[in-house]
Amino acid sequence: MQSKRYCLEVTADFACFTRPEMKVERVSYDVITPSAARAVFDAIFWKPAIRWHVRRIEVLKPIRWMNLRRNEVVSKVPIGAVRTAMAAGTGNLGIYVDDSDERAQRAGLFLRDVAYRLHADLEVRADRSDPEPPQKFFAIFERRAETGQCVNQPYLGCREFSVNRFRLVTDAQKEPAPITEDRDLGWMLYDMDFASAVDPQPLFFRARMQDGVVECDWREVAKVDGSGVAR
Amino acid sequence: MILQELARYYDRKALDPDPSRRLPAFGLEDKEIRFVIEIAQDGRVNQLRDTQRIEGKKRRVRSFLVPQGTKKTSGVTANLLWDKAQYVIGLQRPRKGKAKESPHASFRRRIEELPATARTDAGVRAVLAALDRDDWSILQAHEAWADIVDRDPLMAFQLVGDADLLVCQRPAVVAAALEQLNSDDAPIVMCLVDGQPRPLKRVHDAIKGVMGPRPETNIVSFNERAFESYGKNERQGENAPIGQRAAFAYKTALNDLLRKDSRQRIQVGDASTVFWADRSSTFEELFPDLFGSHDDPDRGVAAVKALFDSLKTGQLPVGERDARFFVLGLAPNAARLSVRFWLHEPLAKLAPRIAQHFHDLDIARSNDEWSRRQFTANDLLAASGSPTQRPGEDTVYSYSHRRHVRVARSLSGQLMQSILRGMPYPSGLLTDVVGRIRAEASAKERDGRRIDHVSSVRAAVIRASLNRRIRFDRNSNKEYSMALDRTHPDTFYRLGRLFATYERIQRASADRELNRTIRDSFFGAAMTSPRGVIPRLARLAEVHLRDIARDKPGLAAFFERELYEIVSDVPVESFAPAMARLEEQARFALGYYHQRHVPKKESTEPTATEEA
Repeated sequence: MQSKRYCLEVTADFACFTRPEMKVERVSYDVITPSAARAVFDAIFWKPAIRWHVRRIEVLKPIRWMNLRRNEVVSKVPIGAVRTAMAAGTGNLGIYVDDSDERAQRAGLFLRDVAYRLHADLEVRADRSDPEPPQKFFAIFERRAETGQCVNQPYLGCREFSVNRFRLVTDAQKEPAPITEDRDLGWMLYDMDFASAVDPQPLFFRARMQDGVVECDWREVAKVDGSGVAR
Repeated sequence: MILQELARYYDRKALDPDPSRRLPAFGLEDKEIRFVIEIAQDGRVNQLRDTQRIEGKKRRVRSFLVPQGTKKTSGVTANLLWDKAQYVIGLQRPRKGKAKESPHASFRRRIEELPATARTDAGVRAVLAALDRDDWSILQAHEAWADIVDRDPLMAFQLVGDADLLVCQRPAVVAAALEQLNSDDAPIVMCLVDGQPRPLKRVHDAIKGVMGPRPETNIVSFNERAFESYGKNERQGENAPIGQRAAFAYKTALNDLLRKDSRQRIQVGDASTVFWADRSSTFEELFPDLFGSHDDPDRGVAAVKALFDSLKTGQLPVGERDARFFVLGLAPNAARLSVRFWLHEPLAKLAPRIAQHFHDLDIARSNDEWSRRQFTANDLLAASGSPTQRPGEDTVYSYSHRRHVRVARSLSGQLMQSILRGMPYPSGLLTDVVGRIRAEASAKERDGRRIDHVSSVRAAVIRASLNRRIRFDRNSNKEYSMALDRTHPDTFYRLGRLFATYERIQRASADRELNRTIRDSFFGAAMTSPRGVIPRLARLAEVHLRDIARDKPGLAAFFERELYEIVSDVPVESFAPAMARLEEQARFALGYYHQRHVPKKESTEPTATEEA
C-alpha cells in the first residue's frame, strides 16, 4: 500500500455535521466527522484508483453554535420521473416549497466560524487498473490543492455550507496551534461502510478531543460483529 | 452526545437508593391510570375506582409502574392489561380507517398471547373471565361513566385481595412482558449511544412534557421520504441505529426531567429547558430558581444569594466543582422537537458566568413588590416583546407590563446560550428592547395610565447588554453602573439624563398634574436624532425655570445646578449629534432611567420627591 500524508487547512462561515439521530431537526456534532473531512479531500481529487484515510483533525477555532430554521420539502424526486425526463428530453422535476403539502420547516443547530486542519493519507490502491506509479497521483493532488482546483466546491457537512478557503499545509510545525480544549465527543460517525452498495452501514468510533486534536485511528472503529474495519 | 448523556443520567437515576426517585427499569414506564376495575377471581366486576384526586385547583391522577406501552399511531395496537377504555371494555369510539380487528379484540388477543406461565396467573385468568362475561353494568352505573364515555381514559384491572397491585403489575405478568420485549425481530446494529451491538429500536417512543401544541413529540423520527438517507426508505430507525435499551434510557430520563413537577426544568420562551449533572449535585435543583419561575420570588433571591456566597468564599463544595452540567433546550417544531441549544460545562465554569449575569442585571429600582424579584430569563425576553391579544407558541407573559407579548422565537435559545457561555447577549434582544422603548414613549394603557416605557427590566437589559459587550470587545469604554453615575462621560447617556431633568422641570413648573409632557411629544425624536430636538427643549426648560424661580427660587437653583453638572464636561462640538445609532439610543434610555431613579440619600433637592 503506497500512501502519503497530506494536510489541508479549511475555513468556513458555517458547518453542519449532522448527527444521524437528529437528522430531521439537524443537530451538528461538535467537531468535523472523518467522513466529512474525507469529502473535502475527495472534492479536490479522487479517482477509483485512490482512497483517502482521514487520520487526524485539529480544531483551530473555538466551537460556536447558531440556530436556524429553514423551509424545506418532504419528498424526493422519484428516479422514474428522472429517467422519463431524460428519455423524453424535457420534463418538470421541480418540487415546490410553496405547496403546503410539501413544505416542512426544519430547525437546525449548526456550527459557525469553523476552521480545521485535516490530516489524511492518500492511498494509491494496489489493485488499481491504472498502471502509473503512485508518484503521479501524489503530484496531481499536490498541484490541484496548491492552485485551488476542485471538482466541486468543498463543503462542511451540508452542501450549502461551502468552504471559504482551503490551503495545502506543507509544514505543520509553523502553523498556529489548535485550541486548548479537551472534550469527550462520545460515539461519533466515522464513515459509511459501502461494502453493500444498496445498504450502506454506518460506522462509529469513540472520539475524544485533546488539546484541540481528534485522532481517528481506523483500528478503533467498531463494527457490529466486534471486528474493526479492514482498511 | 445528547442522547448519550441522557442515557448516562438514566443509569445513575435507575440506581437511586430512594425508590420514590428511582427511574423505572427497562420495559416498564410510569403511567397515570385514572380508573381501576376491581374484579373477583371468577371475573365478576366488584367495583370501579377512580384514582383522581382534586388538590387545590389541580387534578391529580395516580401513577402506576406498568409494562411499557406500544407507540400509538393510527393503527390498532394494544397494551398489556392496561389501556384506554375502547381497548379494555370495548367502548365504542369513532375510528379513522378500517382496522383488521377491533381495539377490544386486540386487547384480548395480547393477553391470550402471553406465555403459559403468565396465562395461568390468577389475575390474568380473572381478567380473561371478566372479558368473557363482558358485563360492565357496574361501570355504567358509576357516577363518572359519562366522563369515561367522553374521554376514553386509561383503565387497568385489579384482583380483589391484591393489596395495591394491578394485574399488570403482578410478578408473572411483568416477567412475561420483559420477555416479550427481547423477542422482537429487530436486527442487531451498532448502537450509536452506547457503542454495543444491540437490537434496533425501530420507532422511537414519544417525549412528553415539552410545552407546545402537541402533548407528545419525538426527537428521533423519520416520517417523510426527504428525511431518509442511504436507501433506508420507510425503515425508520435504521436511519440512526439506536438500541432498544438506549432508546428506553434516554426517553425515560428525558420524560422524567420534563415532568410537570420537575425541579430540573424551566420554560424559556418556546424552549422547554432541562438541567442535569453527571453526578449528584445540590445545584442540579437550583437552576430553576435561578432562571425560571415566578411562583415564589423569595426562592429566586435565596438561590442567587446562595450562588454568590459560594463563589465569594471560593467554596464550591469540593466534589461539585468538576461536576459537569448539561443544559438542553427543546422546542416543538411541527411534529418533532428541535434542539434550541445544548451545553455542557463543569460547574466551576458555569457558576461564575451565571453570577456575572445577575451582577450585570443589577439596576436601581423603585421600592415596590416587583423590585423584590430577580429577573427571570422570561422577564428579559418579555422586555423585548410587542403586545399581542393572542397568547400562543411564540408569546411570553410580561409581568412588568401585565400583558402577553410576542417574542422572536430564536431569542430564547440565544439568550440562554449567551448567559451560560458568558457571551454578550444576542444583539436582537437589545434591538427589540430599544424598539419597544421608542414605540411606547407616548403609549397609554387602556385605563389612561401611562406605560412605563423605560421599565426597570428594560433598563437592566440595556445596562447588561452594554457592559457585556464592553467587556467582550475589551475596548476602553467605561462600563455603566447600577445607579446614576454622575461622572460617566458618554454623550448619549448624558443626553438621556438631560431629557429626564427637562421633564422634571416641566412638571415642577406646572400648577397641576400633567397628562402630556415632553416625554410624549419628544422622547422618540430626542433619542434618535437629538440635534433637532434638544435646542428646542432647552428653550422650553428656560421658560419653565423662570416660572419655578418666581415661587421657589431654591428649587430653580437646584435644577440649574443639575443641568450644569450634566452638560459641563461634554465638549460643545459633540453635543447633540444629528443621528443616534442603536447602541447610542440605548445609552440615552439608560441615562434617562438612571436620572429618574436617584437613590433617596443622594438627592440634595430641597423637596425630594420622585414621580412616576
